[in-house]
Amino acid sequence: MLLVKYVGDLISTISSLFTVDEAAEITIEANPGTINRAYLTAIRELGVNRLSLGVQSLNDRELALLGRIHTAAEARDAVQHARGSGVDNISIDLIYGLPGQTLSDWQQTLDEAITMRPEHLSLYSLTLEAETPMWRAIKAGYLPELDPDMSADHYELAEDLLAAQGYSHYEISNWAMAGRECRHNLTYWRNMPYLGVGIAAHSCLGGHRLANTKSLDKYVDGFSGEALPVPELDEEINPELELAETVILGLRLGEGIDLDGIHRRFGIDILVHYRPQVEEMVDAGLLEQADGHVKLTRHGRLLSNEVFWRFLPG
Amino acid sequence: MEQALTRNFCIIAHIDHGKSTLADRLIELTGTMRRDEISEQMMDSMDLERERGITIKAKAIRLHYKADNGQTYRLNLVDTPGHVDFSYEVSRTLVACDGAVLVIDATQGIQAQTLANTYLAMEHNLEVIPVINKIDLPGSEPERVLAEIGSVLGYKEQDILLLSAKTGQGVPTLLEEIVRRIPPPKGDAQRPLRALIFDSRYDAYKGVIAYLRVVDGRISKEDGLRLMGQGTEIEVLEVGYFAPEPCPAPELTAGDVGYIATGLKSVEECHVGDTVTSIHGGATEPLIGYHPPKPMVFAGIYPTQAEDFNELREAIEKLNLNDASLSYEPESSPILGYGFRCGFLGLLHLDIVRERLEREFYLSLVVTVPGVSFIITKTSGQQLTVTNPNQFPEPTEIEKIEEPWVKISVITPSSFIGALMELLMQSDGAYKQTEYLGQYQAGGKLGQRVRLEYEMPLRCMLTTFYDQMKSRSRGYASLDYELIGFREAELIKLDVLVNDLPVDAFSRIITPEKAHEVGKAMVAKLKEVIPRQLFKVPIQAAVGSRIVARADIAAKRKDVLAKCYGGDITRKRKLLEKQKEGKKKMKFIGRVEVPKEAFLDVLKLG
Repeated sequence: MLLVKYVGDLISTISSLFTVDEAAEITIEANPGTINRAYLTAIRELGVNRLSLGVQSLNDRELALLGRIHTAAEARDAVQHARGSGVDNISIDLIYGLPGQTLSDWQQTLDEAITMRPEHLSLYSLTLEAETPMWRAIKAGYLPELDPDMSADHYELAEDLLAAQGYSHYEISNWAMAGRECRHNLTYWRNMPYLGVGIAAHSCLGGHRLANTKSLDKYVDGFSGEALPVPELDEEINPELELAETVILGLRLGEGIDLDGIHRRFGIDILVHYRPQVEEMVDAGLLEQADGHVKLTRHGRLLSNEVFWRFLPG
Repeated sequence: MEQALTRNFCIIAHIDHGKSTLADRLIELTGTMRRDEISEQMMDSMDLERERGITIKAKAIRLHYKADNGQTYRLNLVDTPGHVDFSYEVSRTLVACDGAVLVIDATQGIQAQTLANTYLAMEHNLEVIPVINKIDLPGSEPERVLAEIGSVLGYKEQDILLLSAKTGQGVPTLLEEIVRRIPPPKGDAQRPLRALIFDSRYDAYKGVIAYLRVVDGRISKEDGLRLMGQGTEIEVLEVGYFAPEPCPAPELTAGDVGYIATGLKSVEECHVGDTVTSIHGGATEPLIGYHPPKPMVFAGIYPTQAEDFNELREAIEKLNLNDASLSYEPESSPILGYGFRCGFLGLLHLDIVRERLEREFYLSLVVTVPGVSFIITKTSGQQLTVTNPNQFPEPTEIEKIEEPWVKISVITPSSFIGALMELLMQSDGAYKQTEYLGQYQAGGKLGQRVRLEYEMPLRCMLTTFYDQMKSRSRGYASLDYELIGFREAELIKLDVLVNDLPVDAFSRIITPEKAHEVGKAMVAKLKEVIPRQLFKVPIQAAVGSRIVARADIAAKRKDVLAKCYGGDITRKRKLLEKQKEGKKKMKFIGRVEVPKEAFLDVLKLG
């Protein structure tokens, strides 16, 4: 974990350069087993007011399968420490759709997570990346293939359980209690500008999407006087692409895209501009229109890529 | 030159027994060309012929040979195609000859096409000189092959020559024997002209060049001639012979073999087998009954890229200039787009055409499962010839279906008889006879050489039969077949419906008892290769309205990117762009998206 001293340096540097809103959301991400109550108390006093915990699972066998160094007990402790140190905005990450994971395995983790009453939950279906140990194990037959239908069942179970517990499904993979939606991430989904500082940080500013180098040495060498290192990647986002991205990202949100909002920002009526796409997807039951918004249906959330690619330019 | 000093002959052999090498040696030893001038295997001019060791189009070369008796003879060597697909051309070639040199490999002995060619030569009353070739090879067994030729073909040992076309050993004796044993051509230069066309090819400058054997009369430049079978009239632009380069000559007379340049634009107008006579005072009777070549095997040929259709059309038109036996007509398929339904003499012909299109015209092709032509009599009494399953009438309208049958002859070591008989039976073959040809050297493990004769539907030979025969006999078995006519068949059309829509290209003609098995296999394959759609897709195999197999592709439920945050947006968008590109390449069966590869996988299903 980042030493308390450095957390303090970061926050004070930012405060010296920018005006930080008193109610600003300041999140730190942590893995269970790497934090204790003293640490959490210290960073909370420095201004950190939200903790995102990479719990992943509350089942030791699954944690081992994922190659995590922590146990379910450590995950439970981490949540307790956070509560005990006064953090009142906790987010928990969980993974579902693991090879061999049954619906009841998933329900156990989910049920237990809910009893911890986190303010926010991010649920991610496992994506298998080529050449990872799990990918190799599946190829070699040591683990069963991923089952997309089972994963869809997991997702729908989570939707039902969390809705019943008062969590709002505000983004494809994110749930929150009222008013606890992640403000930081909402910026991305609303396709608004953001500034990232440090190695591997991304920014989106003035029609450009930028990424800094992932190499610490290169980043440090890149400073020239007061000026920040030149981003390694600089992609120009033209207005057409910006519109498409705004639609695609906006559709990830539970509320969908606000037709008036798009009209104000781009001068475009979505229902006219994307008429064939919208009609086709409404007919297919993947999109719906309500209250001046276009949004994914329950069925459409699981098939959102099928909706999104249709909105790309060209 | 005197007719008495002319000899017209051909060389016949099973593939790779050394026909072309022997031709090269004859050219060299008669001084027609020096060895260093002979590009190896002079008579095979197409790359493909040389590579595959088969001669696709016949040619003729004139050799001058000074015999031991002091006389100089004119030897016309007519090359023959070496494969059964071209048996019509072979038989036309044989009509142009008075004798044949039968080449048999000393390491292999009699093979299926040795027999087929010998019988053909006998039918045409040719004087046959059997020779055992490759006696220089360490594995050669001339004694065994001598005995085999004696017992199977009935030639006496003293009439069989031993030679090596490669080294030239024994070839001078062969030249003497050609002069001594093959009779000079009959025919009369004073009678009205009759000449047989045994080959033709297209030349960009002179039009169609017809290769012919003059039986009666004479041909000179500027003569007005008529093809008796086709009725085409031509003016002779040039007369000559090959040595082996074309040599214009003042005339060709009775007994000669040579060429005429016709100025015709397409070989279609000048078919092999037709008889040429004079427009004025011509003959009344053709030399042999003429019938145009008849395609027996049919397949769709499509460009892999739709935009290459025009190139494909031009390429097929060009091939057709030289290959009148290739037929084609435009065809379209919802998935493959525009292409051609082509007719071929046989499977080898199909292979050759495909390879030439790919190699000489740089085309990438999709070739559909080959089929045969059926003669269908409808209940109305109307008769149709159907070469595409899609043209099949409704089952209730069909009175009778007839399909082509072949007599097939397989020569194999006896140890593989069981496996081959099983294959032949599975392929609906009807057993005719078994013939024992002789023992292998040293009584090897392979046992005796045996010839199996079966009759079977040509349809059953088309897809995997040849490969299976080779693998079941570890490559030893050789095959020959000939058409024996049409026979009544009990057949049905099996259709495949994707999302309730029949897909033309998947329809098959099969026997009723195979409907369930084949239907199940195709449905299973489609279920495997068609990706899940946004809706459930039923796949059905049906005979008429009766469903014989069904499988459903469940609707896709999940296609979602779980995480998408600030640092991911570009990468995730690129994934979506890739997905969109992939969709553009999809073909559609109704609303169902099908990758083309999936479609091809099903076509390949034997």
